Amino acid sequence: MAKPVKQPENGDKQKQQNRKPNSARLAKLVIQRRTLALLLVFGVAAFLALFAKAYDLTITQHDQLQDSASSQQMRSTVISASRGAIYDCNGVTLAISASADTVFLDPNAIAKHADKLDKERAQKLVDGLEDGEKLPMSGQEYKDMLAVNLAEILDIDQQKIYDEMAKTNYMYSILKKRVDKPVSDRIREFITSNDTGKTLQGVHLETDSKRYYPHSSLASHVIGFLDPDNHGAYGLEALYNDTLEGSSGLAVTAKDGRGSEIMFQYEQYYDAEDGHSIQTTIDSNIQSYVERGMADMISEFGAKNGAACVVLNPKTGAILAIASNPTYDLNNRSAVYDEKLQAQLAKADEENPPEPGKEHSAAYYELLGSLQNRQWRNKAVNDAYEPGSTFKTLTLAMALEEGVANRNSSYYCGGSVVIEGSDPIHCSNKNGHGSQTLVEAVGHSCNPAFIKMGLDIGRSTFYDYLEEFGLLSPTGVDLQGEGASFFIDRKTFESHDIDLACYAFGQNFIVTPIQLIAAQAACINGGYLYQPYVVEKELDADGNVVRQHDSTPIRQVVSEETSAMVREALEYVVTDGGGKNGQVTGYRIGGKTGTADKNGTKTASNPLGDVVVSFLCFAPVDDPQVIMLLTMDTPSRDTGIYVSGGNFVAPTASKIMADILPYLGISPQYDEETQTAAEGTVPYVVGLTKAGALEKLNDYGFSSYRTVGEGETVTDQTPAGGAIVPTGAEVILYMGAEKSGDLCTVPDVTGMTADECNRTLVNAGLILKASGAAGRGAKAISQSVDPGTEVAAGTVISVQMGQMSDIAD
Amino acid sequence: MAKQKQRPLRTRNGVPLTRDEYRQMKRAKEQEERKKRREAWEAARGPLDMPFLLLAMLLLGIGLLMLFSASFPDAQASSRLGNDPFYFIRRQVVFAGLGIGLMLWVSKINYERFRGLARLALIVSFVLLVLVRLPGPKENGRLLAISANGAARWLGVPNTTLTFQPSDVAKLGLIVFFSESISKKREKMKTLKEGFGYHIAILLAMVILTAIEPHFSGAILIAGIGAAMMVVGGIHWGWIAAGAGGLGFASYLLAFTDVIENFFKAIKYNASRIAVWKDPFGGDIEFRRDEAYQTIQSLYAVGSGGLLGVGFGKSRQKFGFLPEAQNDYIFAIVLEELGLVGGTMIMVLFALLIIRGFWLAIHARDRFGSLLIVGVTTQIALQTFLNIAVVTNLIPSTGISLPFFSSGGTALVIQLVEIGIVLSVSRQIPAPKAS
Repeated sequence: MAKPVKQPENGDKQKQQNRKPNSARLAKLVIQRRTLALLLVFGVAAFLALFAKAYDLTITQHDQLQDSASSQQMRSTVISASRGAIYDCNGVTLAISASADTVFLDPNAIAKHADKLDKERAQKLVDGLEDGEKLPMSGQEYKDMLAVNLAEILDIDQQKIYDEMAKTNYMYSILKKRVDKPVSDRIREFITSNDTGKTLQGVHLETDSKRYYPHSSLASHVIGFLDPDNHGAYGLEALYNDTLEGSSGLAVTAKDGRGSEIMFQYEQYYDAEDGHSIQTTIDSNIQSYVERGMADMISEFGAKNGAACVVLNPKTGAILAIASNPTYDLNNRSAVYDEKLQAQLAKADEENPPEPGKEHSAAYYELLGSLQNRQWRNKAVNDAYEPGSTFKTLTLAMALEEGVANRNSSYYCGGSVVIEGSDPIHCSNKNGHGSQTLVEAVGHSCNPAFIKMGLDIGRSTFYDYLEEFGLLSPTGVDLQGEGASFFIDRKTFESHDIDLACYAFGQNFIVTPIQLIAAQAACINGGYLYQPYVVEKELDADGNVVRQHDSTPIRQVVSEETSAMVREALEYVVTDGGGKNGQVTGYRIGGKTGTADKNGTKTASNPLGDVVVSFLCFAPVDDPQVIMLLTMDTPSRDTGIYVSGGNFVAPTASKIMADILPYLGISPQYDEETQTAAEGTVPYVVGLTKAGALEKLNDYGFSSYRTVGEGETVTDQTPAGGAIVPTGAEVILYMGAEKSGDLCTVPDVTGMTADECNRTLVNAGLILKASGAAGRGAKAISQSVDPGTEVAAGTVISVQMGQMSDIAD
Repeated sequence: MAKQKQRPLRTRNGVPLTRDEYRQMKRAKEQEERKKRREAWEAARGPLDMPFLLLAMLLLGIGLLMLFSASFPDAQASSRLGNDPFYFIRRQVVFAGLGIGLMLWVSKINYERFRGLARLALIVSFVLLVLVRLPGPKENGRLLAISANGAARWLGVPNTTLTFQPSDVAKLGLIVFFSESISKKREKMKTLKEGFGYHIAILLAMVILTAIEPHFSGAILIAGIGAAMMVVGGIHWGWIAAGAGGLGFASYLLAFTDVIENFFKAIKYNASRIAVWKDPFGGDIEFRRDEAYQTIQSLYAVGSGGLLGVGFGKSRQKFGFLPEAQNDYIFAIVLEELGLVGGTMIMVLFALLIIRGFWLAIHARDRFGSLLIVGVTTQIALQTFLNIAVVTNLIPSTGISLPFFSSGGTALVIQLVEIGIVLSVSRQIPAPKAS
């Protein structure tokens, strides 16, 4: 080994150069030059290239790459806000959310699992089976098993499940949204315990929330419903969606490549804000009275086009009830709810063969769609109609306010009146009402009298009042899709009298029921126009009131005095005029009937045309607490009863009012004539002597009695103690005799007078509770229990009294 | 032999010397030789090149910090590594300490002594390269080789950290052998047989042995180091031109044609890497999820960095997204955390180290010293460039680690030993004289 120190290159540079051979010097020079070249290539050029590339990535492509990176690094989890509830005015829940599960498939995982099963099966076939060992399930068998079971549990088509499973590129395909708990429990059980003996691959549940409507169809048109994504689609749910929905929060967390969360400072958390609840002015009791009454009325009179009703508090504009028929079940909004419409649909299904591959025919689906739209429609708000005579309330108020009419005004009716440039306009009474006072003219609903009033008011002033009463523009009620009224424009209106003449008795224009009742309320409440509304207040998640409706009147349209006079005239309509069927025993009711021709419905086969019959009423007359407008569209002309609001609508309005008024805590006032209708609570008299029992009965207002048996003390009584029955009812005291266990058969009392009804029912062992029209002409028009029904002795049978007239409203 | 024992006639300028005179003269000669030896010794014990040492230590320090940042999420997530976030950094620090000790020791050795080790180093290198390739009954089909990440490139004690890559040893062996051989050849380097042919034959043998491990990246590095040393050593410029032309033509084929891609497809070796390099975001979802995944994740990391980075320690990509974040792709995490500014500063440090290295080569006392430094510096330069170029997708993915940064104990020790060799050469650089 050479000793390094012996190398010839030792020594200083001068010596080296002198001593080294030339070749060594040259070689050294080559090394130095070429090393310098390497220095430039590796030390400078290479790094410039790297810098350029790094600049391109970190600066030029920064945003794009960072976005992509963030999308894989961040997980945003939506924190759903719980949707607020909808309550009625007493806090009864009308709509509420609860959690529910959505069932979805992971088609990708199913396909992979099926492949795996196929491979295992193939392997088993190669390896051979042990004794008693079953051949493993094939992939197709697995899919079949899923399809059969899921279709059965979820009540959906197997084909749909196969279709979803075929989308193998996807990892999320929904089978059924928001299933009820029993169903999701079954799915859960199916996933964990099934034929495979293992947890199922590719079937999942995720928590979602579902809207429940505890009262099904009650106030369905007001409440509305949600779309499949849980956003409000209709009604208050849609109109107040932002309030109810709240704002969902967002949690942005960092995750690692394995999907686990990592703790880091770039987490962001936006809290969810739960939706607010809304308390409506709707009173679910009143709403149910209205809906029940309306349904009965429609079936009784065969209304082809449904009915609508609005009940307002005239002192605030609060809508206590608003109903439209046909209606639907909020919990199953797509299904046709009305039985008659269901029959139509069934007929369409029978008549048309189903489309290939589908369950029903195209005609069926088309009809279904139109029926759905019909049942979702809120006729009280969405549809304008020709009001007819109930509008006369407004004409009356205008005339009184303008001083062109007063209590002592007198109107002559000769059966028709001729307005310049038109055919004669007939009164409903073709023979004419003759000379009549103002109140009588209202009671007769006399067209010539109201035309006179209109002409006296004058074209321009009349039009001003239309505007003042808020009829020219929507009311702005917080309900969806408020319809528009139609009135001829002011210029045309003021150029002639014929429109004024027709407007004066409520024809030739259209308004929505909600507009009309708001104006009518102004006529009877002292003259104040209120905006009708349904949402009283908005409550946050803790129940604090965050918004409260402000019920200040929009304006005063007529004076208190005018309003008082209108009330008086309308009370006359019910006591002595065309609205007698609207009477409610024990209450002072004001009302106005209406029958309006539907424009353009007169045809050769239907010479009289279709009508909308209606009844406006309010009570009590001296201090109105409630006002109701009930309309029925296209009632049948085949009932044998003269088609009018007074005959068709007023009895139902009376029934509804008879429910509402006591419910609102307004006590009935009875005079001598109506005393028998007064109700009292039957006292307990069992165990008392006859004298003691009679004394006690007398104290409670019951004077009519009968004894059965010869004992000393009362051993039983009918009606039982505590029952609320009309005080005119006969109380049966059993003095030792056995109470008859027999059932009584309810007799048919329709068409009888009140006295006849009472006799018939008492003879049958039943108790009469008459309501509605009083007086000599009143006859029973309906009874609460159908004839022929067997009921216990002493059952109270409500009978609606009415007075059918052939006079139009 | 007996004749020689006869005392010769001692003369000075033809004048016979007396015994005393002769002894005096001999003493003077001995003194002179002693003085020379002392001078030589002092030259070998000259001062270390502080800029080079400081740059290397600075890079090592930053490298360790970044290694900790980049490695802890994987280490913590891995139950195989005992969920110990310090797993990688602890190892690396131990090896760095060992490496620094060896570096200082090597730097004190007079590098001329390595001349005598040259042949031995080459022989050992070849033996190791053959050993690692020997087929045998092990699971990886080899006799001795240890596999990691699917490649049988390691030798040593299985299941311990005491493993090394023969290719790492071969690089060092090649550098020493070529330095010795080339420095002796002088102008003969220009010749075909003794200059080009002799060295290229040894180099090709080594490259092929490495490539068939298979260790493609190691082969590239060895080829690059050998070629650089031959270029610097003085081969005929025609060969340089031919080599540069060949490299350029190959690059053209790679970038603008399918030839190279098809070649790799034919030998079934990582052909997809070229497709990934050309368009990592192209292809179908499987391509992006499998073949291009690492490149895409690296680009996400680099791109996320922006100008100033997300901040030291705050990388998100290292949390299970970017595979080998503590190893070949550590510089992606550097760029993500420190941004273009921080990344450029580190690149500048590397550039300065490389420039200083070549500067030392230029000023080395002799050709052997120059060539040693050129070999070592070229290795550092190539590894740095190729690593960062892969991370930024400037070139197709190869699997080359970043000096001082990437996790890997023996590789770090060998790098530090090489730094020690450069420092040893730097000690003997004569101080510049005023004249």
